[in-house]
Amino acid sequence: MAVPDRGVVQGPPARPVTATRFLNWGTWGAIAVLFAVSVQQTGFNLEVVGQGMGDFLRFFGRLAPDWRALPQIWGPLVETLQIAWLGTVFGTILGLPLIFLASFNTTINPPVMFVARSILTVMRSIPDLLYAAILAPILMIGPLPGVAALTLFTMAVLAKLASEAVESIDPGPLEALRAAGAGRNRMIVFAVLPQIGATLTSFILYVFEINVRASVIIGLVGAGGIGNLINRYLSFFDYSGLGTLLIVVFGVVLAIDQLSVWLRSRLI
Amino acid sequence: MSIKRPADTIPATPPSVRRGNVFIGGAALLVLALTIFFLVTLDPLPTWARLQSGFERSGLPLLRGFVNPNWDVFPLARNAMIETVFMAVIGTTIGAVLAFPMAFLAANNLLGSRLLAFPGKTFLVGIRTFPEILFAIILVAATGPGPIAGILAMGINSVGFLGKVFSDVVEGIDAGPSEAIRAAGGNGLHVFFYSVVPQVLPEFASYVLYRFEINLRAASVLGLVGAGGIGAVLIQRLQFRRWTEISMIMIVIVVVIIVVDTLSSRVRRRLV
Amino acid sequence: MSHITFANVEVTYPGGLKALKGVDLEIPQGQFVVIVGLSGAGKSTLIRTVNSLVVPSAGDVRIGDRSVTRARGGELRRLRSDIGMIFQTFNLVKRSSVLRNVLAGRLGAVQPLRGVLGLFPKADVAFAHECLRRVGIPEKAFARADALSGGQQQRVGIARALAQRPSVMLADEPVASLDPPTSHAVMRDLKRIAREDGITTIVNLHFIDMAREYADRIVGMRDGLIVFDGTADDATDQVFEDIYGRPIDEDRDIRGRT
Repeated sequence: MAVPDRGVVQGPPARPVTATRFLNWGTWGAIAVLFAVSVQQTGFNLEVVGQGMGDFLRFFGRLAPDWRALPQIWGPLVETLQIAWLGTVFGTILGLPLIFLASFNTTINPPVMFVARSILTVMRSIPDLLYAAILAPILMIGPLPGVAALTLFTMAVLAKLASEAVESIDPGPLEALRAAGAGRNRMIVFAVLPQIGATLTSFILYVFEINVRASVIIGLVGAGGIGNLINRYLSFFDYSGLGTLLIVVFGVVLAIDQLSVWLRSRLI
Repeated sequence: MSIKRPADTIPATPPSVRRGNVFIGGAALLVLALTIFFLVTLDPLPTWARLQSGFERSGLPLLRGFVNPNWDVFPLARNAMIETVFMAVIGTTIGAVLAFPMAFLAANNLLGSRLLAFPGKTFLVGIRTFPEILFAIILVAATGPGPIAGILAMGINSVGFLGKVFSDVVEGIDAGPSEAIRAAGGNGLHVFFYSVVPQVLPEFASYVLYRFEINLRAASVLGLVGAGGIGAVLIQRLQFRRWTEISMIMIVIVVVIIVVDTLSSRVRRRLV
Repeated sequence: MSHITFANVEVTYPGGLKALKGVDLEIPQGQFVVIVGLSGAGKSTLIRTVNSLVVPSAGDVRIGDRSVTRARGGELRRLRSDIGMIFQTFNLVKRSSVLRNVLAGRLGAVQPLRGVLGLFPKADVAFAHECLRRVGIPEKAFARADALSGGQQQRVGIARALAQRPSVMLADEPVASLDPPTSHAVMRDLKRIAREDGITTIVNLHFIDMAREYADRIVGMRDGLIVFDGTADDATDQVFEDIYGRPIDEDRDIRGRT
């Protein structure tokens, strides 16, 4: 099996220094520096982490559930789901026009698109809990600020996701309808919606999953739902009640997630 | 010009289409009914008068604050936001480092069977079920308030998210290069380092950046439950209804998040 | 003495599909063998039994006097490192550099840990560059693999196989993803290199004209069995019609004329 070794081996050419390579190393260096500064500034170290995780796990031991707390939990739990549902529905309804205004192929004109996109960018940069914290004093304690917070949050997230889907549709049908003399609204109904219907539904379900998680916590800042109860358990050191609540929340969120994931897999 | 056509030339709607229509109609009806039911059972609905007074006492001052924010609180907000960014950096790094091995332990194709990947996948689903704020309040209760609780909460939650998307990436890789390495006499480690890692790394990096965007939002509100960052500054102002300062803090949050989002999505587009 | 020996090789896939139903074949050192047949005839399976990417359910494949089929673990990896392989879809790591892809061919030869860390001896790196020179794309060494055209990517595939210093070369439909002129250029390179280095080569091809042009010997397969074995001159149109089970004029695709 002797293979002739081809003798004339010149030295390999030197690896060229390219801008990409330079950028790569620069990026890694910047990340390393950023991490080092972050660690130093926040007083983060492994000892603190170990202690924190130790406390965390020990604390879990105190969360032994007490099922007598269940009757207290049902009411707020239902309210939580109400908030998530209504926020998703209203957010979808109010978000739909924004989707089309923010997509280049369905917008009215460039300035309108720019305004719609800017509004969405700002709305998307505000976390759900921040909406809730700000709206709670304005709309009064209770489920209403929660619904309003999740409505705004849904609009922003859904419009962003969906307008990317709208922009990547097949332009053929749009052109065909325009050639047949259809207006913008008709084009959306007959060329765009049929193409993105399934994707859009899947996005709505996905946002609903996020909203269910969000609706659990917005009560922490007074915006209704089960978060209120979490606050109460914590301030009265009722850890077994809290443990029960966490198990119930875990089960409900998991069940809704699985149902939604299953529905989404059937859609596409 | 009208087109005349006798009715009997229209073919009957096939049953499959009719079933589809009935299904969609039924689903729409169900959504509508649930929405109305949830709406009327919403309790307590504030009265119009209370809404009005809430808007006058809080909404208007907040809006006025956006027009004319209070710059006195800016240095405080800026420093707190910097701390928030640091928290998100560490939380994301922890998540990415721990998610890397998890991803391969939860990938069907790398372990060779669904059964072996099941425990890993279940663990990741379990983590993702809780929102990070819940981890944060438990950590605050267990270890006391401060940024460490927030960082750990983000770290734990990021492992769940990144572990999941990483393992999806690993499951989606092209098997061809791995076959080529094996055909050339490479062992399992060679396949891993020469075929799997180069294929997945850019997508991993892209998801880490995406998670950083999410974590920065989370870090901005973790302080609302005592877990450090700019949220801590915000919650004090909220308690005393100092609206012009609140609007200043919100502007700082929004601007930083938009800048980071823009930078991050630029880099992500280059990566994949 | 024959270099590659197939002795009554059978392959049954999980699920019951019998891909090979008893193949006997002897290939002498340095021969350039082209295997033709419809897709599903067992060509890919046959070629993969040579390096045990597919393990026969019965029978034996030997290289020289050593059984590939019986080899396991480190012994199998050593045998494989002597067998280069080229794939229809190139199977390059698209995001890695061309050089790194070619160096992957040296993995079986260097110490395992050095391979993992990418610390190849200088001689190996130099040899990888030499392999790229032989396939005519030395200047592409530091480009990313996905920046290359299809023909260039397949040349990288050949260079990777050459980097193994193989005595056997396997090529599974190496030009099926390329346009006709590029296909001929790649086949010419493959044939030239096989001749120069005396590499025993097995190529699966779909196109009969190309098989006639390049093969020292043509083997026809149908339904997991060898139905023809002869020189390019023996392989008349009639023979091909028997292999493909239909008149060749009906399906211009398999003539592969440009």
